[in-house]
Amino acid sequence: MTALLSIRDLSVAYRRDGREVAALKNINLDIASGERLAIIGESGSGKSTLALAIAGLLPASARIGGRIDWQMSEFRSPHQPSCLRKTPLSGRDIGFVFQDPSASLDPVMPIGKQIAEVARTHLGLGWPQAYARARTLLERVRLPDPGTALRTFPHQLSGGQKQRVAIAAAIAAGPKLLIADEATSALDTIVQAEIVSLIRQLVSEDGMTLLFVSHDIALAAELAERIAVFRHGELVEIGATAEIVNAPRHAYTRALLDAHIGLDAEPMLRRAGASA
Amino acid sequence: MNSPLLTVSGLAKRYRRGGKTIAAVDDVSFAIEPGETLALAGPSGSGKSTIARLVLRLIEPDAGRIQFEGDDFLALSGSALRARRARLQMVFQDPLAAFNPRATVARLLDDPLRIHGIASRAERPRRIAALLERVGLNADLAPRAIHEISGGQRQRIAIARAIATNPSLIVLDEAVSALDVSVRGDILNLLLDLQAKERIAYLFISHDLGVVRAIAHRVVILDAGRIAESGDARAVIGAPQSAIGKALVMATPKLHRTTAS
Amino acid sequence: MSVVRRFLRTPEAIAGTIILAALFAMALSASLFFPGDPQAIAGPALLPPFQDWSLPLGTDRLGRDVLAELFHGARTSLAVGLAAAAAALVIGAIVGTLAGFAGGLVDEILMRTTDAFQTVPGFLLALAFVSVVGPSLSVVVMAIALGAWTGPARVARAEVLSIRERDYVAGARVIGMHPLEIAFREVLPNALPPVLALSSVIVAAAILTEAALSFLGLGDPNRVTWGGMIAEGRTVLRTAPFLSIIPGVTLVLTVLGVYLAGEGVVETTAVRRSLS
Repeated sequence: MTALLSIRDLSVAYRRDGREVAALKNINLDIASGERLAIIGESGSGKSTLALAIAGLLPASARIGGRIDWQMSEFRSPHQPSCLRKTPLSGRDIGFVFQDPSASLDPVMPIGKQIAEVARTHLGLGWPQAYARARTLLERVRLPDPGTALRTFPHQLSGGQKQRVAIAAAIAAGPKLLIADEATSALDTIVQAEIVSLIRQLVSEDGMTLLFVSHDIALAAELAERIAVFRHGELVEIGATAEIVNAPRHAYTRALLDAHIGLDAEPMLRRAGASA
Repeated sequence: MNSPLLTVSGLAKRYRRGGKTIAAVDDVSFAIEPGETLALAGPSGSGKSTIARLVLRLIEPDAGRIQFEGDDFLALSGSALRARRARLQMVFQDPLAAFNPRATVARLLDDPLRIHGIASRAERPRRIAALLERVGLNADLAPRAIHEISGGQRQRIAIARAIATNPSLIVLDEAVSALDVSVRGDILNLLLDLQAKERIAYLFISHDLGVVRAIAHRVVILDAGRIAESGDARAVIGAPQSAIGKALVMATPKLHRTTAS
Repeated sequence: MSVVRRFLRTPEAIAGTIILAALFAMALSASLFFPGDPQAIAGPALLPPFQDWSLPLGTDRLGRDVLAELFHGARTSLAVGLAAAAAALVIGAIVGTLAGFAGGLVDEILMRTTDAFQTVPGFLLALAFVSVVGPSLSVVVMAIALGAWTGPARVARAEVLSIRERDYVAGARVIGMHPLEIAFREVLPNALPPVLALSSVIVAAAILTEAALSFLGLGDPNRVTWGGMIAEGRTVLRTAPFLSIIPGVTLVLTVLGVYLAGEGVVETTAVRRSLS
């Protein structure tokens, strides 16, 4: 297993009202090529900051310490000429899916054009080939009637369909790494399950590495091979999914697992109430 | 057996969108007993939030009847409706959006006490402190601005505001969905404690069947504005009969732990 | 405190503040430096400026002290400008809030009334109003406000329309709050920022309208006004141009100062919004 990237002593701080707030503290983490890694944590854990840092999408005002070392040989692919870059390019080498698809899609551009543009910019295709690729991608993300869908606008789609389009745009340039930051949190349970299975399929078909950022440990466990637990900007523990779920070493991980209310949970309701 | 606290029958609400009429809620009927938790579950667009807003008279139905505490709730208007609202309260999903961004904790809790004449001006600070204590918060939180406190604290304030007027029914619209899991359990326990002590009934709206199964007595599963099935929460979720019920159970993430939990 | 410091960081704000501070100092110190009636004869007629240091800016056609008139005129201009703008903002905010919050017939009636006022040029309206009721300070204020409240009303209504759909307004209804209390205590304060952003434009326009009314002889005859001074000087424009130029330049500087300070405020609040 080769490491796609190695994170060494990564610290990120944001400036807020003149003060510095640490979002990540001395993170060390390796992501293997082709693995599915889940980053889980509650609000303020730094999990989204980590995703943005890896994608190179942190705001310019953020103060960044430490290193992210990339194994650039992993990024060569048939339609991408190898170059001397030291870091991969967000959008081409890294696909990013955000929580809110309405915010990441342009509301006044047909979705076909939005996807084709990614393919055109990063793969150097002409418009006809780029549109053909967009059509194939819409088929792959299982949008009904992809031919017509090319010309629809984001507001004509449901939340789940918009997220499918956002995924299509994210993988349009054939990235090596796909980052999904709470990509299913705004969706209902059924649509969430569909999107998760779609991500799983696309990742395995294209041999992508997946970084799945979520607050839901059960969802993460269904999708990922490894889980990293974050809290207050620190990496609490990392391990294989079965290990984290069944034999957590850290009390916080155990607390997160215990707080999960699944379909097999002990009922909290004391059945002494009114109705019988 | 006494009559139900809330009876909803034949409720319907239609929206017009681009020349087409869409039934958001279509012939929905259910009842809630005093002190009972009835959950409304379903995918997005199933009409569960619309039902909550109809029951609270935030929007008006196109058809149907709502009987609350023995009275025709839809016949009330003006000051009679406002007075009766004391008995029927609500907690929203996003506690930050549910409060005036300029408000302080004290003002948010003062409003219901003042509007319904529950306590005199001199007495109110003491009542506010007591309310904060009942939801497990420190009384010195009162002067703080609402945006200064944590999400879990905010949701406790929302519950304190809802119970200030001594309601018999509280509508909880995805009230724990936006909370961190470590906070969610505490809020659910607080709700269950209040219910046990004061026989408050809950209309619990959620897309999370795990939570529904853990805290609701009965569940109504909705699909496209209609009731797909209903019954005892653990029985329905344990063995759903409707297609949508089965799909919801299937789609719920499951944590397979081999060690004793 | 930090808001003030941030405000004073923009060059527009500094320039605007200096001009306005000088203006307020003039208005407040008018009776201190020039305790007598500014319309009394103080020396020979048509004395040019910088000749006699007891009358530094010279005298007008009737031998009145131009500097004294300028100081007392600052009072009128500021008083009328601020009072008219305040009246316009209050009327506009109330009308806009009622229309936006009530909707239906109330909205229809109030907004058609707003339309009616907006189709008549504000200056004509003020002219007609003063000619009918008679010139006095309060009538001039009313007349100017009458033509200026429609802008704030429209902005307030648009803001209220979006705010009234928020959860906290629904929350206020659920606890049984009276609709009028919801409109003016929950909605209006949150709708105010964009309305207040109009205030500099309205103050500047009000000062100009007041000057124009005075120029046409429709100002309060018992008070010195810059518009009146310009009108006075007009008859001797060729022989003594300074009589029109001095109050004219003061007027331009005042309007500029108001604009610049307003711009600074908008910039400061914009920064604050992007920070939060």
